[in-house]
Amino acid sequence: MMKRSHALAVLMGVSLIFLVFFIYPSVSVLSEAFRDPGGGFTTRFVTEVFRDPVYVEGLWNALLLGVVSTLASFVIAFPLSLLSHRYDFFGKKALSVLILIPLVLPPFVGAVGMTRVLSVTGSLNALLIDWGLMDPNHRFDWLAEGRFWGIVVMNALHLYPILYMNISAALANLDPAMEQAAQNLGCPPWRRLMRITLPLAMPGIFAGGSIVFIWAFTELGVPLVFNYTRVAPVQVFQGIKDLSGNPAPYALVAVMLLVSATAFGLTKWFFGGSTSGSQPRPKGRGNEVKLRPLASLAVALLFFGVFFLASVPHAGVVALALSEDWYDSVAPLAWTLEHFKEALGDPLVVPSIENSLVYASVATLVAAVLGLAIAWVVVRSNLRGRLILDALVMLPLAVPGLVLAFGYLALSQEGKPLHFLVKLADGPALLLIAAYAIRRLPYVVRAAVAGLQQSNPAMEEAARSLGANPWRTLRRISIPLIGANVAAGAILAFAFAMLEVSDSLILAEQVKHYPITKAIYTLLSNLGNGQELAAALGTWSMVFLAVAIIGATRLAGKKGGLFKM
Amino acid sequence: MESIRADKIVKQFGPVTALDGVSLEIGAGELFFLLGSSGCGKTTLLRSIAGLETPTSGSIHFGEKNVTQLPPHKREAAMVFQSYALWPHLTVGRNVAFGLEERKVAKKEIDERVKQALELVHLGAMVDRGVDQLSGGQQQRVALARALVVRPRCLLLDEPLSNLDAKLRIEMRREIRRIVKEGGLTAIYVTHDQEEALEMADRMAVLNQGRIEQLGTPEEVYRSPRTPFVAGFIGETNLLEGEVLDVRDGFARVQTAAGEVVGRLSGWDEGDGPPSGGAKVVLSVRPEAWALDAPGESSVTGRVVDRSYLGRMIRYTMETAAGRQQVVELNPETLRTPAEATVKLSARPADVVVMKP
Repeated sequence: MMKRSHALAVLMGVSLIFLVFFIYPSVSVLSEAFRDPGGGFTTRFVTEVFRDPVYVEGLWNALLLGVVSTLASFVIAFPLSLLSHRYDFFGKKALSVLILIPLVLPPFVGAVGMTRVLSVTGSLNALLIDWGLMDPNHRFDWLAEGRFWGIVVMNALHLYPILYMNISAALANLDPAMEQAAQNLGCPPWRRLMRITLPLAMPGIFAGGSIVFIWAFTELGVPLVFNYTRVAPVQVFQGIKDLSGNPAPYALVAVMLLVSATAFGLTKWFFGGSTSGSQPRPKGRGNEVKLRPLASLAVALLFFGVFFLASVPHAGVVALALSEDWYDSVAPLAWTLEHFKEALGDPLVVPSIENSLVYASVATLVAAVLGLAIAWVVVRSNLRGRLILDALVMLPLAVPGLVLAFGYLALSQEGKPLHFLVKLADGPALLLIAAYAIRRLPYVVRAAVAGLQQSNPAMEEAARSLGANPWRTLRRISIPLIGANVAAGAILAFAFAMLEVSDSLILAEQVKHYPITKAIYTLLSNLGNGQELAAALGTWSMVFLAVAIIGATRLAGKKGGLFKM
Repeated sequence: MESIRADKIVKQFGPVTALDGVSLEIGAGELFFLLGSSGCGKTTLLRSIAGLETPTSGSIHFGEKNVTQLPPHKREAAMVFQSYALWPHLTVGRNVAFGLEERKVAKKEIDERVKQALELVHLGAMVDRGVDQLSGGQQQRVALARALVVRPRCLLLDEPLSNLDAKLRIEMRREIRRIVKEGGLTAIYVTHDQEEALEMADRMAVLNQGRIEQLGTPEEVYRSPRTPFVAGFIGETNLLEGEVLDVRDGFARVQTAAGEVVGRLSGWDEGDGPPSGGAKVVLSVRPEAWALDAPGESSVTGRVVDRSYLGRMIRYTMETAAGRQQVVELNPETLRTPAEATVKLSARPADVVVMKP
């Protein structure tokens, strides 16, 4: 047990940080949207948004993107997690790690590859022409009418691991005897799925589903690259240019915040109180069935196939980075390493890598320290406020990055309360670090809480009884026990921070402050070989991230721990 | 109600052999116990009968029907799980109704049978409760009702009482036996608690390392263990090594380090005949079989090194030439044997068991 005074200090400190860097910006976006120039309350701006057919269409499209992407992710994730729950198959361990990698393949970068594959003169059309299935003079533009579906596909292939992990965790936490009892009472496998497994996995499905929904609903990067402007996040992004005179972006952001928070809140309301699956797993015997060789191979191929599909866009990026000449052909006609070299010479690239490394490292450090302290209070103290704290740190999942970025931007203008942060760092560095840290804090906290809950307090008490002081107990017993969990959470936070899109695009305004994602975005619109350079930079960042995520899952050991809400 | 037969069941988990050729036959209406320490294969055997594990080889029959390849949901062998496995998303009543719904029983009949089943386990008022609102003992009884309500061909119980406190456990032993007997059910009950088995079983099988060590009624297994393992596992006992001096009418005179002891032969099949003189044997003498300073001849003596008064009995630890012996004096009048006293130890030949080592 933690000392009450220490716990109280942590609680106060964390609450203060949350108040300043999370609640205040979010609320100020809301209040800006509901305040008339005279200072009174008004719903005029929001109603105006709903009267403007362009904004209505944008919101509607965003909502559709959110819902359809979530459904598509579910269609991918559920069969995979069910298969891995029920069967033992060839290469299961490796495949269940592989299947998670797409989460950190930045969809924003992948979209660049996707445009190359799907454009009028892209790989897909070239392939169809080669096979004689398309007339070279009547090409189909996949990205004109089909852009919506292109974004859905990118989102689904990027976000399904979140659902996969949540559902897998929910299934893994079930007492295997629950399913066996149904079987034993005469329930055939298919009905067992509908009557027992699915209802019991619902909390996991909705926990993951609400994160996926909010993510897809507010996704900025992919629609931007696909040049799909009729969607609310892009409209907000473009509205920033005339922030001073136009209240519409505030109102749009406010609407998005309300929708996201509602989705999150409803999930918590319906499933938050459910204890099913959250109790420590009884030591019943698993139902994992070893598959026959042929079926085993088929399942393994399915897993690999999903990973393969999810990485096609990114393979496209790598190919693009390596291509000397890629026009109207399935693969580049000639290969070169020139772009990688050239990219390193570009004035945008090297500073952006440096910036991202600094922002992401500091943000990760902040998140790790805060996360560990919070987890400690939540698990090892008996403060009354600890459960509120636990709920509070999960809130950033409900608030779109776009909203927070927007709030920071508004509050850091000349003369606004957070302006000192810009002055202090002579740029947006502190703002970006705060945004990165706050938004990924939930993952670190969950990882640390899981670790602490698994380690029995009696282990620490034993150390104390043998004469170790609190500090040495922490260092010799507690940290070694939960270090892997915290490190896994931190690595994930780092990976996300490196490739964060909405905060980076909105908050970094001068070239010298650009992080990687904004550099990629800027390069994309450069004429000449801008696309190839962007792809080269994207390739570097992906290699980097793949290493990070493999490390994280290795450390975490158990699937699901990182993404449970 | 049906008889159950298992033939030469082998179950391997990778390199581990959990069941090594187990055969047994359980009569219709019998309450049969599988007893053994953890890892002996008892739960694997039960799960094989339920169809939750597929034996590597061997066959299982319910009555005349071979069910070895039948999936669990077609076996009609209802199981009570150690963790109860009540579904938290269904109420008590819906949990119990589940198996009947799967059997497409008419709605009206379901309501009636659920009510009956819950009344049988004294939970008639709990139909609409959530399972989380019940105590451990109540959950255990819901699990029992859920299995009973489908009128299974046999009832399988996997350590059903291991999560209950001691007092409730003893109450539930009688309760379960009453229900099984009233319903005329064939039941297989897995436990590691030998007291539970002795109290409840019609017959039991003691398993060790994937094999059946002994099969019989509680009295047979307790009074006539066939191996030192069974003697030590069921109840408490003193084991002494010795050499046979001579054999007569199923009794053997055995020379031990502490002196000469006469005992009853157990574990010698008719085929191989009784042991000859000089054969190495192990003797089992229950603590309550030793008598201190009883009249009659005995060459065994011991010194009292520890003595504790437990009310209904006195427990002595005696140092003898064959090592320490536990001795229990039941219903004692007084502490008549003082500490450090050296006294004569004797046992009636019928209470001493002579086994193969």
